[in-house]
Amino acid sequence: MKPVVFLSAGALFGFLLSQARATDYAAIHGMFKLTDLHLFGVIGVAIATAAAGLALLRRGASTALNGERINVSPKPYHKAVFAGGLVFGVGWALSGACPGTALAQLGEGKLYALATVSGVVLGTWLRQRLASPSVKPARAS
Amino acid sequence: METWPFWLAGLGIGAFVPLFALTTGKALGISSGYSEMCAITKPASAERWKLWFALGLPLGGLASALLGGGPSVSTSSAEMTSALGVSGAAQLLLLALGGAFIGYGARMAGGCTSGHSIVGIAQGAKSSLIATIGFMAGGFAATWIAILLAGGAQ
Repeated sequence: MKPVVFLSAGALFGFLLSQARATDYAAIHGMFKLTDLHLFGVIGVAIATAAAGLALLRRGASTALNGERINVSPKPYHKAVFAGGLVFGVGWALSGACPGTALAQLGEGKLYALATVSGVVLGTWLRQRLASPSVKPARAS
Repeated sequence: METWPFWLAGLGIGAFVPLFALTTGKALGISSGYSEMCAITKPASAERWKLWFALGLPLGGLASALLGGGPSVSTSSAEMTSALGVSGAAQLLLLALGGAFIGYGARMAGGCTSGHSIVGIAQGAKSSLIATIGFMAGGFAATWIAILLAGGAQ
């Protein structure tokens, strides 16, 4: 598919993240302080909706509109998953962002997110550099 | 900025997942797009779409801000200053450090809040549930430690 399709899909998703206030430092901080439960609501509804939609999709279609086989399968479990999750969570709280929202923040005019995005690139590079081949996550994940 | 209620945003994000799969055949995932940024000088792989997707995200943030009468450009986060008392260069350093943890942790865990917490849990994947418990535990721990270091809860 053409890059413009994915660019547009990314724009739509960035719009949704912004409307969800997932790009808002105060919303993330408030979630972890348990003083603002908004994002728990967003995540809960999103998981339920995605689960229902994926279940329908599994019954209804095996081929995407572009002719490709629909390839949505569970990610493999390995022993670094939980530890990696912890590391990620620390970063999530420190920066008030995640990989997607840091980029959406840039579009909102929050130029300080350039620091976050640079950090994510560095962390990604570092892990791929240091990881032994056996636990090195595939680029497709 | 006026934004959507939680249920509408949740419905939108949730519906995006199957619609994206139906349109492109692919599972939504963002953190691996950063791997593509790191591999920008290499020949395009089958994962290059993730780079385009990632580059689309700021455009959506801009559209959302325009809808809210913005965007207003800022070079520091006032919310972060009021939460932790850090500003200026120290704040940017903390953001970059947080970002590095995000990138490193996402590659260890094999995904982030979109690929694991939304798409993965929606499939009932054990790995995604465990990763997400880790995301939350790490976030709670870091937040409360940061608050204590910054001089107590406000």
